[in-house]
Amino acid sequence: MSDLEAVLARIPSRAAAIAKHRESGGRVAAVFPIHYARALFRAFGLLPVEVWGPPRTNTTLGDAHLQAYTCSIVRGGLSFFLSGKLDVADVVLVPHACDSLQGLGSVLLDFVDAKRPVLTLYNPRGPERASLDFMAAELRRLYERLAEITGARPSSRELLAAVEEDENADELLGRLLAARRRFDVDERAFYRLVRAREYLPAAEFAALAEAALDAADGPEKKGIGVVLSGIVPEPMEILDALSEAGAVAVGDDFAAIGRRLYPAGASDEPFQRMAERLLGGPPDSTRGSPIDDRIAHLERLADCGGAKAILFFIVKFCEPELFYLPQMRARLTELGLRSVVIEADVTDTLPQQAVTRVEALLETVQ
Amino acid sequence: MSVLDVVRYHAGATIGGQALLRWQRIGLERRMRRPGFWKDPHIEAPLAVSPRLKELISRHYLKGRFANGAKKVAWVTSGAPVELLIALGYFPIYPENHAAVCGIRRKAEEIATEAENAGWSRDVCSYARTDIGTVLSGKTPVGRLPKPDLLLCCTNICQTVLLWYRVLAHHFQVPLVVIDTPFLYKEASEHEVAFVERQLQNAVEVAERVAGKTLSPKKLELVTRRSKEASELWRQVMEMGKHRPAPITAFDEFIHMAPIVEMRGEEFTVSYYRALLDELEERARLGIGALKHEKKRLIWDNLPIWYRVRWLSELLAERGVAMVASTYTNAWGELSDMIDPERPLESASRVYLHPILNRGTGHKLAVMKQMVKDYSADGVILHSDRSCKPYSIGQVDQRERLGREAGVPALLLEADHNDPRAFSEEQSRSRLEAFLEVLEA
Repeated sequence: MSDLEAVLARIPSRAAAIAKHRESGGRVAAVFPIHYARALFRAFGLLPVEVWGPPRTNTTLGDAHLQAYTCSIVRGGLSFFLSGKLDVADVVLVPHACDSLQGLGSVLLDFVDAKRPVLTLYNPRGPERASLDFMAAELRRLYERLAEITGARPSSRELLAAVEEDENADELLGRLLAARRRFDVDERAFYRLVRAREYLPAAEFAALAEAALDAADGPEKKGIGVVLSGIVPEPMEILDALSEAGAVAVGDDFAAIGRRLYPAGASDEPFQRMAERLLGGPPDSTRGSPIDDRIAHLERLADCGGAKAILFFIVKFCEPELFYLPQMRARLTELGLRSVVIEADVTDTLPQQAVTRVEALLETVQ
Repeated sequence: MSVLDVVRYHAGATIGGQALLRWQRIGLERRMRRPGFWKDPHIEAPLAVSPRLKELISRHYLKGRFANGAKKVAWVTSGAPVELLIALGYFPIYPENHAAVCGIRRKAEEIATEAENAGWSRDVCSYARTDIGTVLSGKTPVGRLPKPDLLLCCTNICQTVLLWYRVLAHHFQVPLVVIDTPFLYKEASEHEVAFVERQLQNAVEVAERVAGKTLSPKKLELVTRRSKEASELWRQVMEMGKHRPAPITAFDEFIHMAPIVEMRGEEFTVSYYRALLDELEERARLGIGALKHEKKRLIWDNLPIWYRVRWLSELLAERGVAMVASTYTNAWGELSDMIDPERPLESASRVYLHPILNRGTGHKLAVMKQMVKDYSADGVILHSDRSCKPYSIGQVDQRERLGREAGVPALLLEADHNDPRAFSEEQSRSRLEAFLEVLEA
């Protein structure tokens, strides 16, 4: 086993991370996608654990509340919740990202016996200054709700300490993504590492990331560079399909990962600082970013990693992603970047035709 | 603005065009008065004001054809605070309304295909696909849509509009003003109201810059006053549905709502709704219903199925079922009390936060339950609209609770507001007939 493999073997599962946190007397927050302030929860001693589907969830329970044209992240998430598998959570957060997640939050508040507080967080899309102030106010509102629930009132200093830990973790996440070609492990293993950010405390993730960066001293992986874009890399078989076809992922634009590389904030006021971070992240369709900004971001990712193609791996029925694709792809083609769109349900297996389409994409750029 | 364009605008739209449309309207009014004009055994003759509505809508799109160069054009969402644009002299175009016109005229599928051929998925809103199809191909049943100088998008009806307007902004390369209205899961907080108000102030600055003129507070007050008046009249029009028999149905409202959606803030809109209300009051006084034999009464939830409005209205009318109200048309009247012409921007920040589509699923259920009571309804049809997730998510629980808490049966009808490919007529007919049997039992 290489040093890197030894580090990766230390990544705890979500269940193990939750159990460890609980054993130490901590509380858990189940968090639906996408953007929220992890530091705010950490300052209250809550461990935010994200719910992206999860993969292979039977959606029957959610289907009793939601129409079939709702995306699998939402139907799967609700099913998972109703099945009792989120009973470990003391509180649930549904950040606002799209009409479907908005609906999920509303259904959980109005029609489902959630048995625990359900909180919401609105991510603004207005002009910069107004949005920043609104976001800070929204985070203060969430702080008050968490204070009511936990009985704690973390000080500004404690909040800032949690923010700084988060900033460090995000900086390391960025370094992991930038150095990914040096990671001599398959794409799945790499994504298991970066996605540990979805449930590990920031300090634990940072320690793991630093160890992985130290151990990643291999030669650069060879293959056709591809930028990955979409909401979340599920089903993860897509990563196997890429590797088998001779591709190397060199850039990440997933909403679950690369689009949450929030920059460090500047303010000394904790809520303002958290707001600066959340709104300062890379362009994202779920935040209604301008199409030109998204194109420029993808172009930068492709340039930095030497990519020749972009794989848009889309969750079926995801309107935010689907709206942007035609104009982005047209412009990226003009820039010499081929792309393909593959749609899948996160709760399902990868359709075989997706593998064929990945192969076809790579053949065209070879 | 060029002098030639202004001359063309007045010659084509406001002088020649208007005279032609007036002449057509008078002709239609004459034909409607002739004995034997109306033969339907179940539905009452159309309202006498209907030709006026046709004239208003035609005139709006006719003006649009000549607007570029003569007036600044803004494309706006149906729930956007258009008053500030009207006060600045913009000509507004409502892509959603245009898409609905395409749907009614059975052109939406063909036009949406243009967008699909350019890469837009059939899983995105069919209104958006229809309009993007028009933008790309120029195909439209209204002659021609003017190009926008400004885009104004308010997210109080869905998040989809922001994505749609990003597409338009990228295509036209014109400024996009976003008024982001935080979704109200429960009651509005002060920071939410303040956020919207700041954005309105920003919108004024951008709109003034594009228009090249300053917003007159007096003009804004006047336009807001007209909006309020029209909105109040529209609410009274809808409330006529409480009469038994109801002199107006939701199917009529789907058509008569056009001015309150796309001509808010205009004097002619106020006078149109006054005339409509007068006629409905007269019909109610005489006991004339929209249906000749009203037996049962229903409430409609969600957007209409535009390409099957007539089919559905006839199917129900044959069985004496009147659709006496809808949550959709109600949205343009229910907030009229909140509009304050003396504090136009401040009150707009509250008004435009509170449409039913910007509020939680529990609120919509409460509205439907109240409507069942107020309109003495026997049941509810919830259109599960594939293209409108914010309106549709929650309906499964709402349907069940309407039965349990309001004591009325409710039907979930699967369709799409503008894409006939997502609608099965036979399946819908079977479901409706089964539902009507339950109602009649």
